[in-house]
Amino acid sequence: MQPRLWLTLPLGALALLAWPAASYASVGVGVQAGPVLLDGIAHPGAQYALTPVYVVNTGTETESVSISVERISAGTGRTVPPGWISASSAPVHLSHAQSARIPLQLTVPRTAAPGRYFSDVVATGSASLSAGGAQLGVAAATNLEFTVAPGPASAAWFSVPGWLLPYVIGVLVVAAAAVGLRRSGVTIRVERAAARTNVGGRRNDVA
Amino acid sequence: MSRSVPWLLVPLLLTAVAGCGIAAAAPQQAAGQAGSVNLSLTTVPTIRSVTISPGRASFAHCTGGDGGANTRSTSGKLGFPNGECWVGSNIAGSYPITVTNTGIGSDIDISGSSAVPVDGGDGWSLCTIGGNGAVMCTGSERRPGPDQYQVLNFSTWGTARGGIRGIPRCDRVFGPGGSCWAVEGMVVTEGLELIGPQWSSDTSTKWTVTITWTPVPGRQN
Repeated sequence: MQPRLWLTLPLGALALLAWPAASYASVGVGVQAGPVLLDGIAHPGAQYALTPVYVVNTGTETESVSISVERISAGTGRTVPPGWISASSAPVHLSHAQSARIPLQLTVPRTAAPGRYFSDVVATGSASLSAGGAQLGVAAATNLEFTVAPGPASAAWFSVPGWLLPYVIGVLVVAAAAVGLRRSGVTIRVERAAARTNVGGRRNDVA
Repeated sequence: MSRSVPWLLVPLLLTAVAGCGIAAAAPQQAAGQAGSVNLSLTTVPTIRSVTISPGRASFAHCTGGDGGANTRSTSGKLGFPNGECWVGSNIAGSYPITVTNTGIGSDIDISGSSAVPVDGGDGWSLCTIGGNGAVMCTGSERRPGPDQYQVLNFSTWGTARGGIRGIPRCDRVFGPGGSCWAVEGMVVTEGLELIGPQWSSDTSTKWTVTITWTPVPGRQN
């Protein structure tokens, strides 16, 4: 009987320790308070990398955090169409207190109207705790801001066709060789050799 | 003896010269070196977050329905038409869902999803009474119509009018006077009241609804 008692006491103590953890299971998600911005101005028909958004699991349960774009908070500007923003690495799996930075890509269609755009980046946790038939979930939002300039982006120097650069280099090499030969004093004469004829045993070469 | 002494002295002298060089160089380096001090700086957190703990919340205390048609609610089962189930009770002062603003000061929004049956059939739309862009309840006396349901949340600050919408909107029972502004660490306990549809197209007896709390940048900013 005595050994059973000694076995029961530690097990009971462990059960008591586990009780608060079970009682306070929670779901939570956090997002950076600062807005998600674009360095510079966007142009129609171009793609840009936005500043990665920071997300954190503030609950006790493991979460999969996904990203969406909604207009929730107050602000001025055109609403960002959700299709313009993609988060390639989302959803991210986060355990308790774990955080991540999710890269965001902005794709501005050619038909985009110029102006200031404003919406919210919403980080939503997959985990939910059941309250009977109701699932209780969490999300967190931060502002998304950028400006689209009128007209497409100016062509960069490297955006020329791929064949043009080797062609230009070839022309420059030939030109440099020609100049070098001319300065060196070397002359090249091009002569046409006529058909050889032997008249009276003499050789007549006509230039 | 005399021949071995120079061979011993050579490495010793080289070592001494090398040592003198190091010793002499040190003050010169110190004279031209910039001084620096390492300072550590701690900032306040800049995370916007919320944490939910449901305690032992469950939809119970269901009432309403039609006893004549054998569709009256039982204690844990929603009846038709327009049965009501509760998580907590605003009459008994029971608010089992704990909502904590674990981040910086923010507005706390609340939203709901459509009710989804476990058989994957037709769901129930979340409806409200009033509000721009909201799905209006089409039943009699502005109660949920067919395949509609309504969720009201309540706290010590009262019961939200109209009901929770499908898109995040200010949780009007998070603070006094209909305010949803929450400072860091603010804790509010809430309960839910669910009003079921007039009738349901789907015959499933198991349904799932999701209520989501979202901290958003303050609208007064």
